[in-house]
Amino acid sequence: MPPAYAATGDPPDLECPYGHRRSGASRRAGGAGSLGSGVVNASPSSDGAAPPSALRIEDLVKRYQTGVEALRGVSLDIAPGELFGLLGPNGAGKSTLIHCTTGLAQPTSGSIRVFGFDAIDRYADARQAVGLAPQEPNLDWFLTVEETLDYHAGYFGMPKRERRERSRELLETFSLTEKRDERTRTLSGGMKRRLILARAMMHRPRLLILDEPTAGVDVELRLELWHYVQRINQEGTTILLTTHYLEEAEQLCDRIAFIAEGQIVGLGTSQELAASYEVETLEDAYLALVGRKELSRSHVEVTAS
Amino acid sequence: MSAAQIRLFTLWRREANRFMKIKKQTIGAPLLETFLYISVFGAALGTRIDQLHGIDYVVFVIPGLIMMAWSINAFTNNSSSILQQKFQGAIQDQLSSPASPLELLLAFAFGGFMRGLIVAALTFTAASFLVDLPVEHVLVLVPALFLVGLFFSLLGVVIGIRAEQFDDVAFAQTFVLQPLIFLGGVFYSASLLPEPFQTLTHFNPIYYMINLVRYGFLGYSEASIALSLLALTAATTALFLLNLRLFTRGYRLRA
Repeated sequence: MPPAYAATGDPPDLECPYGHRRSGASRRAGGAGSLGSGVVNASPSSDGAAPPSALRIEDLVKRYQTGVEALRGVSLDIAPGELFGLLGPNGAGKSTLIHCTTGLAQPTSGSIRVFGFDAIDRYADARQAVGLAPQEPNLDWFLTVEETLDYHAGYFGMPKRERRERSRELLETFSLTEKRDERTRTLSGGMKRRLILARAMMHRPRLLILDEPTAGVDVELRLELWHYVQRINQEGTTILLTTHYLEEAEQLCDRIAFIAEGQIVGLGTSQELAASYEVETLEDAYLALVGRKELSRSHVEVTAS
Repeated sequence: MSAAQIRLFTLWRREANRFMKIKKQTIGAPLLETFLYISVFGAALGTRIDQLHGIDYVVFVIPGLIMMAWSINAFTNNSSSILQQKFQGAIQDQLSSPASPLELLLAFAFGGFMRGLIVAALTFTAASFLVDLPVEHVLVLVPALFLVGLFFSLLGVVIGIRAEQFDDVAFAQTFVLQPLIFLGGVFYSASLLPEPFQTLTHFNPIYYMINLVRYGFLGYSEASIALSLLALTAATTALFLLNLRLFTRGYRLRA
């Protein structure tokens, strides 16, 4: 599957004010216009060019100080309004890619643009557009449920009245109203998951990143989350979803990328991915990716019969 | 308020909210500790020592105790808060927000500064009821206390960022900070020490901070006030710039 980007031919090695050197590609602003629902910040204009991608990653490399290369030249292009799935085994680089996009990790090289804003040079605009629901609950134990939402919105510069209205609305949506005065450490796993999603939505991000949002939750909450994700996507929010549940990706995502050993190794709809691996289902394509074809249900059924 | 002001205020508010939610530990305990020092060194020991340099002993030690309360609380607040948030992962919510490195640094620094200020102000108020505590040079006292508070807040931030476990914070406080403060002349006058301890004390930076605060309250000084203020300003500025660099680089904060 060809990568969804083109070479830019920008001049290399411009000094980045954030402390490390970047390629020239990362310094240029993206396209024009403002997209999606609940727009907080406009995208940088470039005189009538096509609207910028919701997330455009070019040749992203992340090498940790330990020497581990978690991302090895990843390129992705997610369109505004798309519900995009990122699948891969543990340690494939999914979380590192998300951390680089949200500022929790610093790329070694390459560029990331969120609605045209460079994630390093224009980090404030880029992060303003992103909401992150991380894989591990990272709630502040000292805060109550309502404070968690209020403070998060404050970090994103939302005025008090708007914060109050928005938190009331999200507490209701995620059935957290009765828990609003409870400290986060007293919440059950499912409630924490709801709160993390509500917090990610608090500042009305145009790109919502969900890192395994349904890991360890019961069926009822999983279905509830699916409905909510589909609803906000239909309302215009772009979504990047990582998950280990293949049926989740299949049902929700417009396009899916397979990532393995820090590289994108497959990209397309679930049917396209299955076809590219010459199998019938996304699950079999995934098993082919991780080299475990013998676990295929069709294989198991044939063996059993 | 602009978005940047809302961000900064919220970041600072979170810090203040944290220490106010555990105020028995963060405000009450240090206040009690300071009172115990005043009782033991002032009321009990003070009756034997009587006066130092013409000043009642209990009055002589109170400026140092106020400085100690401010500095240790500012330091402890920031080092603990940052480390706790790193442990919980909660700091990710702030790091992935549009807040700039400067905004993050200011919020953390002034969180600890505020806690130190509250404890120091309460100590001062209570001490004023117990003894007649003069304020001889307010124009030295205010900038001196401000700089001391800020210096230790920023020191707490550095230690919090560097720390990987609670032992790292405890080590810095118990084995470095407290000995320097105690040996800096909080409870005695360095001029009364025998050699070589008197000379050694002059290599302790905390000695000059205590001297500044004591001069502000009592008008008594053992070192140059102008030089001490200048050195403290330079040290605080250097620490601020170091912290800003750490936040900008994401040192031990961003992978």
